Amino acid sequence: MKNIVNMLLFLVVFSVGSLAQEKGSVLIQNATLMTITDGIIENGDVLIVDGVITGIGTDLSAPIGVEVVNGTGKYVMPGIIDAHSHLNTVSTNEARNPVTAEVTMEESINPNSVSIYRAVAGGVTSIHLMHGSANVIGGQGETLKLRYGVSQDEMRFADAKRTIKFALGENPTRVHGQGNGIQPRTRMGVEQIIRSHFDEALDYRVRREAYLVAKEAYEGDRRGRRVPPVPVAKNLRYDVLNDIIDGEILVHCHSYRADEILMLMRVFNEYGIKNYTFQHANEAFKVAPEIAKNSAYTSVFADWWAYKFEVYYSTAYNATILNKNGVTNSINSDSNELIRHLNHEAAKTVRYGETSEADALKMITINPAIQLGIDKMVGSLEVGKHGDIAIWSGHPLSIYSKVQQTYIDGKKYFDMLTDPADMRIDVDSDDSYREAGFNTFIQGREEDACMSDVFQFIKQ
Amino acid sequence: MKINKTFVSIVSLFTMLMVLIHTPLLAQDVPAHAITNVIVHMADGSVVENSNIVWRNGIIEQVGVNESIPFDAFVIDGGDSLHVYPGLIDGLATWGSPDIPRDLPRLENPGKPTYDRAGAQPNRIPAHYLNEDKSIEAAMKAGFTLVSLGLDGQMLPGHIQPFNLSAAKLTQAHAFSDPLALQGSFDTAPGSWGSGAYPSTQMGVMAYFRQLMYDASALQEHMMYFENHSDMSQPEQNDVLEALFPLVNREYPLFFEVDSKEEIERMFRLQDEFGFEVVLVSAKEASALSEELKARNIAVLASLDVREMPDWLEKEIKETEAKDQEKSISSDDQADNQDVKKMELTEEELVFRLKQKQAWQEEINNLATLVKSGIPTGFTSDGLSPNEIQKKINLVTEYTSLSKSDLIELMTIQNANILGISNRVGAIKEGNSAHLILTDGPLFEKGTKIHVQVSQGVINDFMED
Repeated sequence: MKNIVNMLLFLVVFSVGSLAQEKGSVLIQNATLMTITDGIIENGDVLIVDGVITGIGTDLSAPIGVEVVNGTGKYVMPGIIDAHSHLNTVSTNEARNPVTAEVTMEESINPNSVSIYRAVAGGVTSIHLMHGSANVIGGQGETLKLRYGVSQDEMRFADAKRTIKFALGENPTRVHGQGNGIQPRTRMGVEQIIRSHFDEALDYRVRREAYLVAKEAYEGDRRGRRVPPVPVAKNLRYDVLNDIIDGEILVHCHSYRADEILMLMRVFNEYGIKNYTFQHANEAFKVAPEIAKNSAYTSVFADWWAYKFEVYYSTAYNATILNKNGVTNSINSDSNELIRHLNHEAAKTVRYGETSEADALKMITINPAIQLGIDKMVGSLEVGKHGDIAIWSGHPLSIYSKVQQTYIDGKKYFDMLTDPADMRIDVDSDDSYREAGFNTFIQGREEDACMSDVFQFIKQ
Repeated sequence: MKINKTFVSIVSLFTMLMVLIHTPLLAQDVPAHAITNVIVHMADGSVVENSNIVWRNGIIEQVGVNESIPFDAFVIDGGDSLHVYPGLIDGLATWGSPDIPRDLPRLENPGKPTYDRAGAQPNRIPAHYLNEDKSIEAAMKAGFTLVSLGLDGQMLPGHIQPFNLSAAKLTQAHAFSDPLALQGSFDTAPGSWGSGAYPSTQMGVMAYFRQLMYDASALQEHMMYFENHSDMSQPEQNDVLEALFPLVNREYPLFFEVDSKEEIERMFRLQDEFGFEVVLVSAKEASALSEELKARNIAVLASLDVREMPDWLEKEIKETEAKDQEKSISSDDQADNQDVKKMELTEEELVFRLKQKQAWQEEINNLATLVKSGIPTGFTSDGLSPNEIQKKINLVTEYTSLSKSDLIELMTIQNANILGISNRVGAIKEGNSAHLILTDGPLFEKGTKIHVQVSQGVINDFMED
């Protein structure tokens, strides 16, 4: 018994703990390959070498020393990508100002949450770690690879596009309007917060650039005749807002109602902002053609609604309608429980709206990848993409299928057959065995994950 | 062992007389003090027996076996059995600091708080906030002769300034030097849910900190421009931003209180951006980042606030010991029973326990690992009372490779090095300030009492009561 325990500890400490940014190699043979972008390949092989997919086809052979996995009867698909998650935040909402573009989830990553491992066990390989929805312009997001056991920095998805959270409707008006008696108190106010801050940011940019030019001229003036400029301090918040206007940051906007979705598209068109995603967007189906026309994206729940007034007018056909209208749509979890079976959520679009299986799978792979600006690297089985894959016991959209193995960068992070007894890391010497590291999904779904940290605050 | 007070009095009387008679002829008008016939513990851990120490005007003039005692010296006779150690230094304490205000009024706009409501008060200086605090006398009695004082607060509570612990009620006159660092942490703006403000999260604190640094840079530049160009608009008066100039200019270290590995890594980000020197304070998980700390040349003022081992582990050890004792006289059945009991735990719990044991060992070994890794490591009382410190010292020396003399080194010369004041304190040597303690046995051993504490030459005799 003691030997088993020691071996398990060895596995935990040395297989997980030392994985930092390690890349692996593996050949999976004779499986059904759900490539996502190139149909289904029966009896196919996938070869991953040093973290990158180098071969997809049949009869591939493994380079010397590369592990071979027999995929007979199994399905291989790219790792699931969740475009909306608060899985392992330290804090979610910097809820004391309606605009907090300067804060970033990059500095709010908890790499030790056991939820990461649970998500990996559901075939998820990447998430979009988001700020909450308390603020009109919340903090920047961070796209993570779920490399459980590495440091916070090593979890970050290198070269992913920068993102930021916006939020419309009840949450920001409740927190700031009702909670603090400041703007925004209404949906009109929300729009004006966005406009006024973009305008301030643009104004700042003009002043800052003029100062930098004048400073250079002053410092280069050897005769000393020039008057120095009054310095304009670098402003982190406005810099980020300008980066949004410049297209360097992708906006992911928490929204429900059709009218506010249209409002934001109008505002963004005025400021030239493109490639943004409406998160939740329960009423997006009402304005699907308009969303498609603006080349905006949506990331929705399969069938979750009625948890507050603005979410009553909803339908399980939302994803299907958006998809049929040519909107690039993803299905997200926004929940540490749902993230473990996003395949079921995608399958609901097939069940309700008769979305094709191929499109349903896109909604949890390549489509969220597009929305996060990582589609050149992940989201499908293609040569040259990252070796982020999951092996399923059956068709991934079947309720009976289970994830058997999950690989990130070709390195195995989950294996059902050798799933250790206790996967908690960063155990505290004072923790109780029963409570340590466990979090909310055990008690069921959270009411409104986007509003964590602020419920107590707004009740006052 | 009592100090020979009669002798002291006679010498004193004699000295007074001599001073009165010879005043015009004496080059040194302040009498000397001496401790004679003591076991002196040097900075390197070595011990010199039958030694004498002489100081005048707060400065040590002589240390050694054959040193002659000046005729005007007040003498304390150690009678060959008393020990003298360098005075202990507390790397950071907030004694005398005003409490963090409670029941703050609700802000009209929590998103734009004043600096103090955001938790940024780098302009505060401990010398201006010296409230009475019982901890000061308790620390003196426990052998501390110098403390670097900070203030209770949040993100930037103020400056850090060392003080001589020569009186239970500190005043500005007890300042050992000017402030030598700024104090910082990731603590969010003060207030409850109703009265709080931005920044209310760690990511918010990081962003706010950055903005302060940008604003301070701009103000400093404006002031420099204005010095030569009075025709341009006048810079604003801003004590908070001005207090950050030494940090902007990398002239000052930031003493940053932080514990978890992840938070220390976040601290590194700020350091990389602004390039200032950092001293970690408390730093309970710092040893997990030893290599990085070494590469960055970061010193640590470590907390001794380690926890007892988990209850189940303590129980297990006791049972094993009992079993070992009984082994010789009992049958194998009893041993088997113990194993059966352990088998009742699930596999998951057994693995959890192994992890927890490892976690506790890492926690208690934090200090030892830092020292072993060659990281400059000192000590902060971090809110612990002298009694608690003694308990933690026992715990650390029982379960780690550190000895009591290792810990004394951290509390004396190492702390002096980290504070940048080792040219004056931390060791007993000629030219240093007289910061000493006289004990009747090895320091931190059971039963050892501190008889006399000397801070900047001022004698506090705790055996007089």
